Order: sequence, then structure tokens, then C-alpha cells
Amino acid sequence: MSAREDDIVASFVSMAGNLARGHDVTELLIQLAADCARLLDVSAVGLLLADPRGALHVVAVSSERVADLEAFQAQRAQGPCHTCYLEGKPVNVPDLASAAARWPEFAAVAAKAGVASVHAVPMRLRDDTVGALNLFGGKPGPLNEADLRLAQALADVATIALIQDRAAADKSLVNEQLQNALDSRVVLEQAKGVLSYSGDLDMSGAYAALRQYARDHNIKLTDLSRAVVNRLLPAAVVHEHARTRRVV
Amino acid sequence: MDRQRLRDAFGDAVSGAPTPLEAADRLCVACVELLDVDGASISFIDGSTTRGTFGSSGELSRTLDELQFTYGEGPCLDAVAKRKPVLVPDLDDPGERRWPALAQAMLGHGIHAVFSLPVTIASTPIGALDLFRHSSGPLDGEAVTAGLWAAGLAALPLLDLMTADTDWRKAADGRGSWEQLASLERVEVYQATGMIIAALQVTPANALVRLRAHAISRGLTASQVAYQILDRGLVLEDDGWINLPDDQEGAS
Repeated sequence: MSAREDDIVASFVSMAGNLARGHDVTELLIQLAADCARLLDVSAVGLLLADPRGALHVVAVSSERVADLEAFQAQRAQGPCHTCYLEGKPVNVPDLASAAARWPEFAAVAAKAGVASVHAVPMRLRDDTVGALNLFGGKPGPLNEADLRLAQALADVATIALIQDRAAADKSLVNEQLQNALDSRVVLEQAKGVLSYSGDLDMSGAYAALRQYARDHNIKLTDLSRAVVNRLLPAAVVHEHARTRRVV
Repeated sequence: MDRQRLRDAFGDAVSGAPTPLEAADRLCVACVELLDVDGASISFIDGSTTRGTFGSSGELSRTLDELQFTYGEGPCLDAVAKRKPVLVPDLDDPGERRWPALAQAMLGHGIHAVFSLPVTIASTPIGALDLFRHSSGPLDGEAVTAGLWAAGLAALPLLDLMTADTDWRKAADGRGSWEQLASLERVEVYQATGMIIAALQVTPANALVRLRAHAISRGLTASQVAYQILDRGLVLEDDGWINLPDDQEGAS
């Protein structure tokens, strides 16, 4: 087995373990996006989920670059990821410049962000599509078959993580879990903002401090974020913990 | 009716109104016209201090909404507490024992089904959209989806109500309601909201209100103000915000 395949297997094993331990879904999705960017030859990866109104929201990205975020968010109502979500099948755009006529607004934002290629694979649950996994490349060019298969496999894992109970037959229950995932993302971003301001950190630093505290105290990232945002847990306590950890 | 027309109809109801209260009423009337329900109301629940009916499609709906506050129980209070829809297809079902006093009162007014959808601001539930029907039976999937759209839009007039000094016409002007909502639902807005929470020691809902008020008063989108905050180009102070002039950047 090649080193890359070892890496992929390790990634799936850790994902399965996290699922079994009832890990926080938002953290899982962020980890998945980061794994995906590392394993595939792409510059940024994002997961977009649809809310009950059918609007796409960014729930996880592999990087904190503002430009990447902008490009992902531009796909709310237009772009390869949105098309992939609507049609429920992969959309491959190896050269975005030649596809500008199809998605003019998205192509403009993407070009500004240095994105040259986009591949989107759907997150499917039975007959429904709940979102899409988006791969951004810095250079034009197609992804090979093996990479695309792997991307789809990772998207399937993300869907399972999201829906936890695969047998959930009730559509309203699925909607509720999607809504929970979106809400978790909101409080996580707010908590990052609180820690960033109070500790003078950038957003990745704020996320690292938050995740460290959650892991060491065995609490879910979402629960911790909610406590920080509602000022039930002082931000200073989280910063202090991060400082002690760095020294040890 | 197809989804796009439904969305447009809800959007129009909110966009054209002269005041937040009028917008809320029109949204409720639109629910009655477009969904399979006989009445609708929007309640405002800010923590445990302010509670009350914010908008309604008519007198009966207002009464039904107020009943829930009178009795201190009901699907709208549960929808807010649990942050999820509370659907009651048959109030007269013997298995339905959640709100004994309220159920009897509602049945007395000829209401047999109630559907309560939470209205959230910055992930904080701040109220609920209640849909009432004379006949029992579930709300179909399409109607639930449409109801959730309406509940999403209901957040806009509630936000404006919380910002007393906001010029409502200006707020409703220009961009359509869905675009306004979309602008509030972006990652940078949530991160900036967190910074306001830390700087001003306020609740998440209050932080979003301040961000939006600043945006409206300067003719900017919520997203643009959020980037100013994230770039530290906007200094947050207790009694107001100060914009750093560009030429001061890097000077100190």
C-alpha cells in the first residue's frame, strides 16, 4: 500500500472511531474537510449544507482564508456546488475560465480568490441531496478517477456523520439534524469571534484554543461554544488553558 | 403554487411594509393566504423579560397567541425553549396532554390544530410563528417548508423592532428581504457577532442587532460591516462604534 493509501485508511478509521464515540458533528466535518484537502490534490475544500429553505450554507472549510470563504459562500444560489446540490450528481469544472458563461457571478468571485478549477460531489441521503462537498484547485485541470471516487467516499462519510442514525426514516427528523448542524456552525463561528477578540488571536488560533479546551475537558465543541457565546464560561478561562497547554 | 412564487409572495409581504409591526401582520396574512391554515401569529420572546404578540393575521389569532402567555404554556413557548418546530395536528387527541389548560381554551375557540415554528436570530430563538387551523390533521411537507421560510423572514421585522432607532423604510429598501436574510447568514457575520459579544458584553441576538443597525445607518450590508470588524478597522466601544480613517492605518 502506498503512503497516500495508508493515510486515507487512517483517515477513515479515525472518522469511524469519532462517530462511534458520539463526537461533535461540526468538529468532524471540519476535520473531514481538512483531511480531504490534504489527501487530494486541491487547494481548498468546503462542505455546504442546505437549510430547509434550500439555501446552501458553509458548514466546514479546510482553511480560514477569507478568499476561500467568499468563493464557497458565493455558491449559495449559483455555482458548481449549487448545481451539484440541485441535480444530485457530481459537477466537474476542470477549467473555470471556460465556464464563466454558465456561472458569471461565481466565476468572477472564484477568479479573484485564485480558484481555477472546481469539482463538486453531492452529499446524498437515499433519494435526497442534503448538500455538497466542494473541491477548489489553484491550477486548471481535471481530478483523476481515483480522486473523484475518494471525494465521493468522503462525502458519503460526512452525510452519515450528519445523519448519525442512518435508519432515520422520518424526513422531519433529518431536517432537524441538518438544522442542528447549521446551528452548531453558527455558535462555533460566534465563539471563534469571542476568543479572537478577547485573546487577540486570528480565527485559526481561536479555533485551536476552543478545540483544545473541549478535548481536554471532554465536552462537545458545540456545547463549549454555546457556553462561551452566552458568557457562561469566561473567554479568559479558555485562553488560560491554552497557555498552560503550550508550556507543558 | 410553485416554490419560487411562494417565496416571492412572502418576500413581498415583508418588503413593502411601512413599519416592523405592519410587516409582521402582513407576513401572517400571507401565511393564511398561501398555506393551508386559518390563522397565524408571531410572538416575541426576549429571554424571560419581554413576551407578547408581535403580529397576527386577525383578532382571533392575536387572542390565541395571547392565551399562551396567559396560561404560561403552549406550543410557541415550547418551540422557543426547544429550538425546534412543535407540530400539533390534533389538540383533541386523548394522547395530547402537553398543554391541558391551553388545549381546552383553543378548542373552545374552534381551533383543532396548531403548528409552532421557532424564529431565530444569530442562533438564539427569539420568538415563534404560530399557524392555527379549525380542522385537525397534519400540515403537509411543502407547507412546513414554506412555514419555515416565513419564520425565517419573521426575524427581519423582529430585528428592526429591537433596534428602535432604525429607519424601517431604509431597512426594507433596496435589497429584497431574502437578500437581507442571506447577508445575515454568512460566516463573517457570525464571527463579527462573536467579537461584538466579547467587546460589549452583550447577548448574541443583541450583538447582531447592533451590527445590523450600524450597517443600515451607513448604507452598508451586514457582511461589509462584519469584514470591517474582523479587519479591526472598526473600534467597538460601549456607547458607539468608531470607524478608523484609512490614513490612520499603520500610523500608530
